[in-house]
Amino acid sequence: MIVHPSPSQTNLSDQPAIASPAPLPIYKGIASWQALRARRWYGVMGSMVLLTCGVIALCLQFGAHTLTMAELWSALTFSTAGGEDVAGIIVWDIRFPRVLMGLFVGASLAITGAALQALVRNPLADPYVLGISSGAAFGATIGFAIGIGSMVGGLGLPLCAFIGGGLSIALVYRIAASQGQLPMHKLLLAGVIVNAICSALMMFATSILNPTSLYRVVLWLMGTLTAPSLTALIGIGGCLLIAVVLLLRESQALNLLAVGEDAARSSGVDSDRVQRTVFLVSAVLTGAIVSVSGMIGFVGMVVPHLVRILCGADHRLLLPVSALGGGILLMVADTVARTVVAPAEIPVGVITALIGGPFFIYLLMTRKYRFFA
Amino acid sequence: MSEQISENIGPSPLPAIEVRQIAFRYDSVRGSQSGNRSSWAINGMEFTVQQGEIVGVIGPNGSGKSSLLKLLMRLVRPENGVIRLFGVELETLSRESIARQAAYMPQDLSYDFPFSVLDMVLMGRFPHRRSGLWNLVGWEQQEDLAVAQEAMAQTDVTHLAHRMIDTLSAGERQRVLLARALAQAPRVLMLDEPTAHLDLNHQLDVCRILKRIHAQLEMTVLFVSHDINLASQYCDRILLMKQGALVCIGSPQEVIHPQVLNEVYGCRVLVDVHPETGLPRVSLPGQDCHQTVAVSGML
Repeated sequence: MIVHPSPSQTNLSDQPAIASPAPLPIYKGIASWQALRARRWYGVMGSMVLLTCGVIALCLQFGAHTLTMAELWSALTFSTAGGEDVAGIIVWDIRFPRVLMGLFVGASLAITGAALQALVRNPLADPYVLGISSGAAFGATIGFAIGIGSMVGGLGLPLCAFIGGGLSIALVYRIAASQGQLPMHKLLLAGVIVNAICSALMMFATSILNPTSLYRVVLWLMGTLTAPSLTALIGIGGCLLIAVVLLLRESQALNLLAVGEDAARSSGVDSDRVQRTVFLVSAVLTGAIVSVSGMIGFVGMVVPHLVRILCGADHRLLLPVSALGGGILLMVADTVARTVVAPAEIPVGVITALIGGPFFIYLLMTRKYRFFA
Repeated sequence: MSEQISENIGPSPLPAIEVRQIAFRYDSVRGSQSGNRSSWAINGMEFTVQQGEIVGVIGPNGSGKSSLLKLLMRLVRPENGVIRLFGVELETLSRESIARQAAYMPQDLSYDFPFSVLDMVLMGRFPHRRSGLWNLVGWEQQEDLAVAQEAMAQTDVTHLAHRMIDTLSAGERQRVLLARALAQAPRVLMLDEPTAHLDLNHQLDVCRILKRIHAQLEMTVLFVSHDINLASQYCDRILLMKQGALVCIGSPQEVIHPQVLNEVYGCRVLVDVHPETGLPRVSLPGQDCHQTVAVSGML
């Protein structure tokens, strides 16, 4: 039987949960379920990590110049026997930073998408719909336009993007929030509106840019992962790591919030803190991503849906698996982008939209998946 | 009429819930026809619920029943007045410590995310979770599973443990939500319309379970209901509200009185005696249920 705290003891965790002397026989299904879940978590995470490594290897192999397995292997193991190590240069200097950036950007988009969808209890939520991305893009465009993009030791662009993203989510929040309440439909509508305004401002800004900057901005806006610098890699990687830890800490709270805000708060979830954390993490991460890779759509929205179909809705599993899944999707998309019309490339945002869009339509039309309802 | 505490309640050190002169209003944008801010949702309520009581809250639509429950769970904060939970002011407690004392079952939840019944019940363990560096995401421990299992047994949903929440019937869902509230191991259970949208059989199920929980776990139960008859059959005391104010609180025999209900609900009702329990029973009149009565203020 459930032991209830006496007036002097309010914390149940200090007491045995099962009244002695005769502990109840645990319902077999549940006991085995716990072991199963632990196994499942490690199983799923382990296979996702392996899959990610495999995809990284494949992405290193393909490109404008396709390497043979032997070349790839020797490059990966640094075992080239003398001479000019062309494969080594291609793999480590050219492709690896780009593939890694694909992994980071895809993971960031997918994990923020998953967290935002739970928070606003709406399948459409992702950094784009909530106006964060276009705010960041607008900020970065302004940075381009007034020429501070490359100032502050190369941090000018990320800074502009982050400020833009932060301002837009703050504006969305301000519009939607009323007296401590945050109605989610209002939040989404505010996001759509801010999104539209930022896009309009961005179009205006690009229309008055000089042709050389314009070309760069347009290419960048379509989403591209070309040649990231080491600082960018370290910066995004660091942001992502912190974001993953912060979001995982709130993952059970996100489970409760996904079911209902009042119920979650009544069960002890500090919903204000969770909202602040998720919004701040999303703004920082999106600002960082947009500044290095422009607007890459669909990853943040599609990947969490896919993962939910495969692994269920528990955010403790959903968040990390989404992150890896997003990384895989973007790495593959980027490899396609730089392979199919090599030596030219297609902006990776085009590929993700072209893969993601039809796939989403397919899901919508075939799956009886309530979250689409 | 102020409150009337029945005499048959044992001497308990602290009342489970103590409400003193609370006032609350929503800061709504739409309700601003009256020039000043929106009108009071709750105004000057004062009552006490002793430990181990079952109290039903009844009243017309919009009388502030749900707002009262939200105030008691501190989902919203009162503008004036004090609420005490086992003698401690609600304002001074953290969200988690409130959750360890009192569980709340809301009227509706979102079932869009594919959670299993067990996931759902285990969510009740949130205020008892122990997460740390080694358990960043807060996996439930064996103890949490044992409590969840017991809660599921109490509400007869053990066999549904691995079903998805959106495949359940309304009655089953309601029992799952009840199990989730129990898994929180609270001392007070607050339920918002636990029998709404349920057929007779499932209404009876939920009420029997509530009665059983109350008896076995010595839990204090406060529930909001539109069903006066249900409240009459299962409650120790009934709290009648109108326009955000307390009309009266007392035993079913005291509160369910044709004249009182007439005045509060604005329509004539018939009150007779339940053939089995001898408790008051309400029926609507045959013809002129819309006949309104001049409301002469509160009792």
